[in-house]
Amino acid sequence: MRTRLLGIGGVLAVIGAAFFGLFVVPADLNQGDAQRIMYVHVASAWIAYMSFGVTALAGIAYLWLRDLRLDAVALAGAEVGVLFTAFTIWGGMMWGRPVWGVYWQWEDPRLTTTALLLALYLGYLLLRRLSEDPARRATRAAIVGLIAAVDIPIVHFSVIWWRGLHQGPTIGSPDKLLHPSAPLQFVAALLLMLGAFTLVWGYLMIRRYQLARIEWQIEEHGRVGRISAARRASLAAHTAPAGTSQAAPVQESTP
Amino acid sequence: MTLAPPAPPPVAPRRRVWGAVLGVAIIAAVIAYFAFSGIGNALVYYVTPSELLARGTAAVGETVRLGGLVKVGSVSGPGTDLTFALTDGTHEITVHSSVAPASSFREGIGAVVEGQLGADGVFQASQVIVKHDENYVAPTKGAIPSQVIDPGG
Repeated sequence: MRTRLLGIGGVLAVIGAAFFGLFVVPADLNQGDAQRIMYVHVASAWIAYMSFGVTALAGIAYLWLRDLRLDAVALAGAEVGVLFTAFTIWGGMMWGRPVWGVYWQWEDPRLTTTALLLALYLGYLLLRRLSEDPARRATRAAIVGLIAAVDIPIVHFSVIWWRGLHQGPTIGSPDKLLHPSAPLQFVAALLLMLGAFTLVWGYLMIRRYQLARIEWQIEEHGRVGRISAARRASLAAHTAPAGTSQAAPVQESTP
Repeated sequence: MTLAPPAPPPVAPRRRVWGAVLGVAIIAAVIAYFAFSGIGNALVYYVTPSELLARGTAAVGETVRLGGLVKVGSVSGPGTDLTFALTDGTHEITVHSSVAPASSFREGIGAVVEGQLGADGVFQASQVIVKHDENYVAPTKGAIPSQVIDPGG
């Protein structure tokens, strides 16, 4: 129920932030209304960074603790991150056509490294399907998730390191954090959307995590009939941390 | 609820972790090399007027992307027969295009054009892309869309 409230709150927050960005804040003097895409474009890009960052951290934690629940967190981070990355690219293309004159430029470092980011995590999700064994799958995924995460800072700094079409950071660099190259009301609209997206992200993460737990039940029992009982058990495991599901993988890492 | 006890992995977990760390370190090193060494410059998205002119006659006829600021006062002609100068503050190249750029095109803004430098010194562009900067401006009373300070002087 609390998760559902988070989801509803997230959707309402997105609607509120969109209203603020569309109707309360004026459009940029030079770009016109197309600039308003920036609020969802930049916010979703930052959420994608965070989501993939969670995948990497959960992967490291899995390699260390061997708890399959961490692998479920990593999976959720990658899948939700792919969603936000795709949304970032789509929003960027919608902005690029009116302002740049083109939807896409392969040779631009920011665009190319972002496309690579999407491809890396799609590969991560495909790789997860190759292995039947949960522990082996989790280990492989953790390593690939860690390697793919190398691209996150590259995407972010690509506009500083290389000459390209995409503009540099307006707020997302150390010198601009306190002195953004945008009026405060634009920054407020962006941060509102970032907060709203964070709620939606949290909701999707929790739901995907729960779904992963249910998938394990099906993998284990192989029968649809057990799902409801399994789901109860999986939900109960949230409140009871020392479940049997934790014991098995932990034993494996004990020397 | 129990999860199927996994089979022992063929490689010891700790060795895998170090393998992953090594992999990440190698990739990071390669990227850093490309980012900070001269090799990265060979992969540039566009060249500046100074860089293109420095190539001399070798640059003529070669398809390249040229980037710079649209010199204030240099734009003439309709969108389909457009002539303007791209400058990097030191050198400038006259560009001609028969393809209209996006409506955000204006004097003083950054632009990237794709095409060839002609023997007559005029760059014939087949595409004009407007390069927008990271600055945002809220409209205020009396403000006009920016005519960025003329970098060419």
